[in-house]
Amino acid sequence: MRITIHSTRWAVSPWQSSASIYWSFMNKLRQEWFSNIRSDLLAGLVVALALIPEAIAFSIIAGVDPRVGLYASFCIAVVIAFAGGRPGMISAATGAMALLMVTLVKEHGLEYLFAATILTGILQIIAGWIRLGELMRFVSRSVVTGFVNALAILIFMAQLPELINVPYAVYVMAAAGLGIIYGLPFITRVVPSPLVAIVLLTAVSIYFGIDVRTVGDMGDLPSTLPVFLIPDIPLNLETLEIIFPYAVTLMVVGLLESLMTATIVDDLTDTTSNKSRECVGQGVANIASGFLGGMAGCAMIGQSVINVKSGGRGRLSTLSAGIFLLLLLLFFSDWVRQIPMAALVAVMIMVSIGTFNWDSIRSLRTHPPSSSVVMVVTVAVTVSTHDLAQGVLSGVLLSGFFFAQKVGRILVVRSQSENEGRVRTYTVLGQVFFASADRFAQSFDFKEAIDTVRIDVSRAHFWDITAVSALDKVVLKFRREGADVEVIGLNEASATMVDRFGLHDKDGAEDLLLPQ
Amino acid sequence: MEQPKKVLACVDQSPYADYVADYSAWVAQKFNLPLELLHIIDRHQETATSDDHSGAIGFDAQENLLNRLAEEEGERVRANREQGRIFLNELKKRCERHQGLSVDVRQRYGQLLETLSEQEQDVALYVLGRRGKSADQTQRDLGRHVESISRKIRRPILTVADTFAEPKSVLVAYDGKRMTRKCISLLAGNAALTDLPVHVVMSGKKNSEADKHLEWASSTLAKSGFEVQTAYLPGDPEQQIPRAIADREIDMLWMGAYSRSPLKSLFLGSKTNELLRASKVPTVTVHL
Repeated sequence: MRITIHSTRWAVSPWQSSASIYWSFMNKLRQEWFSNIRSDLLAGLVVALALIPEAIAFSIIAGVDPRVGLYASFCIAVVIAFAGGRPGMISAATGAMALLMVTLVKEHGLEYLFAATILTGILQIIAGWIRLGELMRFVSRSVVTGFVNALAILIFMAQLPELINVPYAVYVMAAAGLGIIYGLPFITRVVPSPLVAIVLLTAVSIYFGIDVRTVGDMGDLPSTLPVFLIPDIPLNLETLEIIFPYAVTLMVVGLLESLMTATIVDDLTDTTSNKSRECVGQGVANIASGFLGGMAGCAMIGQSVINVKSGGRGRLSTLSAGIFLLLLLLFFSDWVRQIPMAALVAVMIMVSIGTFNWDSIRSLRTHPPSSSVVMVVTVAVTVSTHDLAQGVLSGVLLSGFFFAQKVGRILVVRSQSENEGRVRTYTVLGQVFFASADRFAQSFDFKEAIDTVRIDVSRAHFWDITAVSALDKVVLKFRREGADVEVIGLNEASATMVDRFGLHDKDGAEDLLLPQ
Repeated sequence: MEQPKKVLACVDQSPYADYVADYSAWVAQKFNLPLELLHIIDRHQETATSDDHSGAIGFDAQENLLNRLAEEEGERVRANREQGRIFLNELKKRCERHQGLSVDVRQRYGQLLETLSEQEQDVALYVLGRRGKSADQTQRDLGRHVESISRKIRRPILTVADTFAEPKSVLVAYDGKRMTRKCISLLAGNAALTDLPVHVVMSGKKNSEADKHLEWASSTLAKSGFEVQTAYLPGDPEQQIPRAIADREIDMLWMGAYSRSPLKSLFLGSKTNELLRASKVPTVTVHL
């Protein structure tokens, strides 16, 4: 006789399950916040130092005072530390978002930008609730690569105004900056090299009184903590009409970049993230940013890589990045004002180089042409429209198109005459849908003088009504030639059209992929 | 036939592992269940150290970082895995001194709590050390994982201290409440233990129900063939129970555990933790 210890099952009371949730919660809290304190704080500091030039640069792209981007970066980083679904990811004001606001700011002003930011946040929360993030599975690897490359190119292009028609000194300074940024890590990795570049270049330009544009020339810097304000706009339909299209694009681009970055951080740290929570978190962060005088932002690929590289893993790294950012600004704003733009340009070129996927250039020749085309088209559309949403949409459509074309090739129609030439049986194997329906119809010999035609489709998949109507046409044509037509197995073949189509597969379906 | 459930002994690389192994081998043999020694390698993916604070990202920054991290972690994990394997095999040999016991070893990656609760379906009884590797540094007399594991996992858990003596008698700390009644039913359902005399001890404020509760416990156990003694000891259970264990030379304690909500125990303390700290005998806690 075998005895089991656990012989009776008791129902779990609601209280007990809540206790269990409590323990998981406490465990998660410790794990996500307090398991990596020292490294998180250090990485947060490194990130904050790199965030300052970026936030200023992205404000300039959007055409607003640096104050707006800096407040946004502070708010978003702090809020996302609590609300986000990917610990260790850095979110702040970003170039991808800044590019989308240019026209709105130019035509309607800053207050409308705040309103659009808040609306973006609301839309992102809704997107999180309805799990829109799951649509990311339609965004193929090539589109993601295209997105990242386009982003890097756009960040680089945004620096060009600072490099065209400027004094000779600017080129020297930018080059020196890049030299320090990439050279210093060979000597020491204790201090952030972009910081050293900025400090040295600022010191040199002040000491020698070099007349170059500085951050102070670009607009206001924060002098106080951000304050809560309601955007000064008329609350009517007309306003909504203005901001809604911007908010939708901002929502899409913000979520795209955030979810892509989350995947990158997932890979780097070999852990998982909660994508829906991230969507909602981005929304909450943007709403907070809008009410505190900041612009919309999202996750940053470059900064998140810097964070992970510097040892940041937990939520504390994101939070401390935001807080250090604001503290540094409040204490050193007089110095920040004097940073030459050339130093910022050097940092942004570094971000652009670090974000670009150089491997994708090398593999252009080795990858299948269709995926290379998707990548290049994504980049081209984005760079020409300055809108990552349009670029991604083109990429996704194009990859869908290529996929349909490829799958459409998996269709074989074989035939055999029977009964002393009175009957011909066509056996259809493979996928019949809009992209292969024509080829399907052309596979029959209508000119053959024959009594009976048998079409066996039991081992084919009819995916849509195009496929069924193609079959109808084939049947009709044979009838017109005076032949009797029998269709075998249509029910099985068209089961794929029904949405409830399950996982049942047909015998021999796998040999479709083998060369016939 | 249903796969027989197993006794899962969770060991870490500390001196306490030997006692965990001894008790789990004893209990597995008693119940004629397979024993599995589990060593969890926590990869600590939530932590990182990096001396690279350059903050510079260059060509192929992402790929390079990914490759570097994968390599570093792989190296660390390989070293841990090999060390853990040797350690587990030593323990396995120790357990195999018990005749006819089937012993398996396993190493898993993950976090203690999640890893243990993932296995719940296949486990009849968990065996844990009351203290672990960090005990000597932290001076804790009760490891920090015991409570969270006991609260999360709905299986009996045997926690052991730092000695081994084959249990000869059992004391059930009984208060008539739901969790301890479950504990009695559970004990009664295990005929393999009937050779151990059972002492059912109630303590605390005198109340009129006490006799009725004791009567129920004693008859439930007696029906299953246990030799039962009951006692009512007025006073503070945190003192009375350990005293009873000492007086009666008990070497195994059974109790219902953690019936207070986490919030309540934050203010009132947890009787279970008090008892686990005060008594040195192996204890089966039942929190189902």
